[in-house]
Amino acid sequence: MRNFYEDQNIKRKVLIVEDEYINREILGNILMDEYDVDYACDGNEAWEKLAPSAYSLILLDLIMPVLSGTELLARIRNDPNLRSMPVIVMTSERDAEVDSIKQGAADFITKPYDMPEVILARCERIIKLSEDARIIRSTERDSLTDLYSREYFFEYIRRIDTYIRDGKRDVLVLNIDHFRLINEMYGRGTGDRVLKKVADTINGAFRSSLIIASRPMADTFYVYCEHDEKEKGVNFLQEQLDKTFGDLKVRLRAGIYQDADMNIAPEDRFDRAQQTCDRIRGDFLSSVSYYDKDFHVKSVYNERLIKDVDSAIKNHDFVVYYQPKYDITGETPKLCSAEALVRWKHPELGMISPGDFIPLFEHNGLIQKVDNYVWDRAAWQVNEWKKKFGFTLPVSVNVSRIDVFDPQLEEKLRKVLSDNGITEKDLMLEITESAYADNAARVKEVTEKLRSEGLKIGIDDFGSGYSSLNMIMNVTVDVLKLDRSFVGNLKKDEKSLMLIEIIIGIARFLNVPVVAEGVEDEDQLKTLKGLGCEIVQGFYFSEPVPAEEFEDFIKKEVEKNDNN
Amino acid sequence: MITIEKLVEFGADTATGLARCAGKESMYLRLVSTVPKQPDFDHMAEAIEAGDLKTGFEAAHSLKGILGNLSLSPLYEKVCEITDYLRNGTEMDYSPLLSEIKAMKEQLTALCD
Repeated sequence: MRNFYEDQNIKRKVLIVEDEYINREILGNILMDEYDVDYACDGNEAWEKLAPSAYSLILLDLIMPVLSGTELLARIRNDPNLRSMPVIVMTSERDAEVDSIKQGAADFITKPYDMPEVILARCERIIKLSEDARIIRSTERDSLTDLYSREYFFEYIRRIDTYIRDGKRDVLVLNIDHFRLINEMYGRGTGDRVLKKVADTINGAFRSSLIIASRPMADTFYVYCEHDEKEKGVNFLQEQLDKTFGDLKVRLRAGIYQDADMNIAPEDRFDRAQQTCDRIRGDFLSSVSYYDKDFHVKSVYNERLIKDVDSAIKNHDFVVYYQPKYDITGETPKLCSAEALVRWKHPELGMISPGDFIPLFEHNGLIQKVDNYVWDRAAWQVNEWKKKFGFTLPVSVNVSRIDVFDPQLEEKLRKVLSDNGITEKDLMLEITESAYADNAARVKEVTEKLRSEGLKIGIDDFGSGYSSLNMIMNVTVDVLKLDRSFVGNLKKDEKSLMLIEIIIGIARFLNVPVVAEGVEDEDQLKTLKGLGCEIVQGFYFSEPVPAEEFEDFIKKEVEKNDNN
Repeated sequence: MITIEKLVEFGADTATGLARCAGKESMYLRLVSTVPKQPDFDHMAEAIEAGDLKTGFEAAHSLKGILGNLSLSPLYEKVCEITDYLRNGTEMDYSPLLSEIKAMKEQLTALCD
């Protein structure tokens, strides 16, 4: 990388302010090889020449007529535009040296002058220090809001934590809801004014004697301060925003980690506050959210699960369980198929309940990977059983909402069948009814396509959504699977009984069977049978079990058939 | 014409003075030759005579800076002496010191002619 300080082509400009011709000449002669030298004979002349960044260094004689060096130094230091320009004072008065350093001189040169090398070295050192300091200043703060940049913010927190150990601290993350929209609708200038307003109001909002703030990115603000009641401060900020930008409806949301654990890194404390803040994104009812340990533990756990999905697939940590389905139309129930259900045997976390990972993966789309895996394993199992028992037991697998939108869905399913040597009749698909609410056209397209290839489609959770009737009007399916809540409420609720009756009526009209799941006892079984339900699954027969255990059901069925 | 030899004779520390001018002899000599024309010699004497020791100090202080930078040692030392008295506002008879300074300045003037 190019070193700008040592670059010979860059000649820095220095100003010598000295009333004595001889001194000017001597000094100018020393500096002229290294610097572009300019002169002023008194303070006034120098003041006229000064402009921001005009000089890299000023060499200033303290005692001069008209405007003394001491006065000029004070003027420079009080001018925000010139403040950062380094000044070396030149004096033969020992007392003046200390005073001028106190007044902001960077260094001093005594008279008679030191040898040229010494003077050059001093000038070089001061210029370099000043340039470094300017770089540091420019990276220390965010230029828009003047709040600390992220790196400096955390560095200062570390210092505060080290030197001021008593007292509790609160960690706040502030975000502006839909900030991007403000930029898009009203222009970046307005967005910037909103950000500046937040930054300018932070100090007044949280009246802590120890407070530092940062804008680490876009519309995110970090505040670190003493522990006290924070909600008032957030409300105050919101009020100020409303006053200034009433029509824009700028909405602030805050994640607060109160009395933060000082034993964890500042960055991690703010991560927690950020996660807390993210929880209420888009929630118009609450603008403040408090960090809660249980939530944190849960998010860490979820992160872990997400991270481990790929290795779980690779290492076969996902295990497919099978729950038998019985045809109850005859005198005795007859095993007719099974539903494949996924379980996760985590090598470190142990058995993970499907309730812990399926909704999570449905939410973030990872369920697709899990489903694809289950389809393949289930197809393989069907083939294994066929070889082992000479008995083909169709298995149904779940097709999640996200799978419906997978453009490669049909291709993937074809591959699963051919890879495992089974036919379309051996693998049944259960699509949840709610997928239809998301995108009716795609569900219709997919089901038609899959059915045309010979696959059987069942509608899972039928009756649970508000589009049940709509769906069966538009989409042709092969099975209706009653939402388990109807069966669960059978005893205490006559309405459920009636609804099941209606659904069974509809199924008859459509000429498709109804499957009831969640059947736990004989009463339920009898009622369902009485209503004309054809297939049931549930704990009454068996909970979902590993493939080896499931083989007992197959064996029994084979024996029964042999006896007949 | 002033020369290094003449300045050595005068008692100047020419090695240091020259070094301060980065070894440029012509420049050094040219600057030295302007010293006799320095108005501060007269300003200093006049102010002291008028009893204005503060102005006298300022003139002496300026001279001290110049003479020190050119290492005109004997004259520099005398001016340092008078500068110290003037800085402290010492009420005293300054004429002996002023005469000595004047004599040395005239000696330097003669060397420069």
